[in-house]
Amino acid sequence: MSHDITRRRIAGPVIALLLLLAAVVPAAAQDEYIMRADRSGAELTDILVQPPQVLAGGAEARAAAGTLDAVIRADLDYSGLFRLLTRDQVAGKAPPSHYRIDGVLEGLPTGGTASPALTLRLLSEPGGQELLAKRYQPGPDRLRATAHHFVEQVVRMLTDQPGISLSRVVFSRGSGDRRDIWCVDYDGEGLLRLTSNRTLNLFPSWSPDNKQIAFMSFRQGQQGTYVLEAATGTVRMVGETSGSNLGPSWHPGGQELVVALSKAGQPDIYRLGLDGHVIRRLTVAESIEVSPSWSPSGRDLVFTSDRTGSPQLYVMDADGTGSRRLTFEGKYNDSAEWSPRGDRIVYACREQEITQLMLIETGGENRRLLTDTSWRNCEDPSWAPDGRHVVFASDRTGVFKLYVLDVEDGSIRQLTKGGEPDTTPDWSQ
Amino acid sequence: MLRTFAMIGMLLAALLLTVGCGGKKNVPVADNNAAAVVPAPVEEVVEEAPVSETPAPATNYATMSPQEYGIEDVYFAYDEYTLSAATMTTLTANAKIMKEHGDVVYLIEGHCDERGTVEYNLALGEKRAAAVRDYLANLGVKAGQLRVTSYGEERPFVSGGTEAAWAKNRRAHFARP
Repeated sequence: MSHDITRRRIAGPVIALLLLLAAVVPAAAQDEYIMRADRSGAELTDILVQPPQVLAGGAEARAAAGTLDAVIRADLDYSGLFRLLTRDQVAGKAPPSHYRIDGVLEGLPTGGTASPALTLRLLSEPGGQELLAKRYQPGPDRLRATAHHFVEQVVRMLTDQPGISLSRVVFSRGSGDRRDIWCVDYDGEGLLRLTSNRTLNLFPSWSPDNKQIAFMSFRQGQQGTYVLEAATGTVRMVGETSGSNLGPSWHPGGQELVVALSKAGQPDIYRLGLDGHVIRRLTVAESIEVSPSWSPSGRDLVFTSDRTGSPQLYVMDADGTGSRRLTFEGKYNDSAEWSPRGDRIVYACREQEITQLMLIETGGENRRLLTDTSWRNCEDPSWAPDGRHVVFASDRTGVFKLYVLDVEDGSIRQLTKGGEPDTTPDWSQ
Repeated sequence: MLRTFAMIGMLLAALLLTVGCGGKKNVPVADNNAAAVVPAPVEEVVEEAPVSETPAPATNYATMSPQEYGIEDVYFAYDEYTLSAATMTTLTANAKIMKEHGDVVYLIEGHCDERGTVEYNLALGEKRAAAVRDYLANLGVKAGQLRVTSYGEERPFVSGGTEAAWAKNRRAHFARP
């Protein structure tokens, strides 16, 4: 009898817990998910991935085919757009309509011109109509890049929108006043250090063509704005002004930066040419004006100002006129970034001693909290080119590391690992 | 004297930290898409002046830490850059000393506690330093003696997530440039 009572008492919580687990399943150890949304009810594109058929090259070629298959699957899953089917699910006499990826690897990848051909295809099923066929000659170190490239073509073909599988994230790694700019592939592979100057380097920002990275550095003793060529590592100074040189951000045209400079005594927002000349001063105020981010059209930008006594978001036209307040809730709103789709803005909102990520439409409607306090502080959000994923820094483990949030379904992945703090990420476009 | 010891301790800790970071694992080579990246040249870092425990008899203020001859740091409320009455009193005393040593240049560093965003805190630190500079200038300290910079939340005096630690970190610190 007492057993029954106990059972009845715990049944409610257990069912609630099971429902919760069904909704958000903690990820298995082998992949990068921290939280994984249940996508069973979502409108997803069904796709069957078959590993490339290996014609020659033995076990090593089969391993290469396995790598290609695994990366293609991981990329499709990461996109949040697909449901990966199993062979059993399409084995019936009248399988549901879906897409299929297959391929042929003609031998063992060896690098150089000796690499055998690889063909990857996208087909429409049933019927087997070929939608896409790509031929590659991948060296052994190019297998991941090849798979990323193919998935990018698949996403572009099926959604008419840019994907993320070729994208990368730059960020600042280190603590105290020793922080360098680093770069990592969107899936956490290919970690690369870009500066090594034993000072504070922060706020890296990709140029729209992903060839240059603007950043702030104390490399000459005080804050300065610099641009780094991603291909060569060459660093050049943009402009020399005393005081703040905060948060450079690229104009979508790629020919100028927007920076917070304190030329006039306190940080104001300026449009700067890449040679450092002032194109236009956009704000004139005694208050703090920082953290500018362009809209994808280049017609307007969002920024932070404490002109009312607390940091809030504002939007203004490209010439600095037409300033209007965007956020009215919360006493600390900062670090806004305009979505590449143009329709919404992600930012950091600090309430009750915790910084959380927030989403708002560009007219100020539909403000929505994206994270919860179990994640401690979530800062410096930056959009992926798909306008769906956001990279941010969180100290949920006690040290700031980078995570990626799918704002549509709430899945969260860990992007960077290790003991050093990682902050101020920027996603390539 | 206690403060001197504390500063020596901090410098030692900073040194140890630097040595600890020296054995950094190999820098990864460029990956698939980027060509080889040339590391930027290593540059000297601006450090606070080493504190000598027994100052030379012939006092040279330009080489001493300002705290050694009575210049005191000032503190701020959370997310504020206005000067409190206590801060103004301290700055009045600082100004008196600064005017006695009109050839000494001071770097006013604005600092913040760890709360809030990195970027906004750098701006806030600058506003704090600028507010202190402007107040000192109004008291007659020569503009050429005063420089400002901001370290935001990057160089806390005291670590730890307590109000006591935060209060010590929200400060304008006087250093040698």
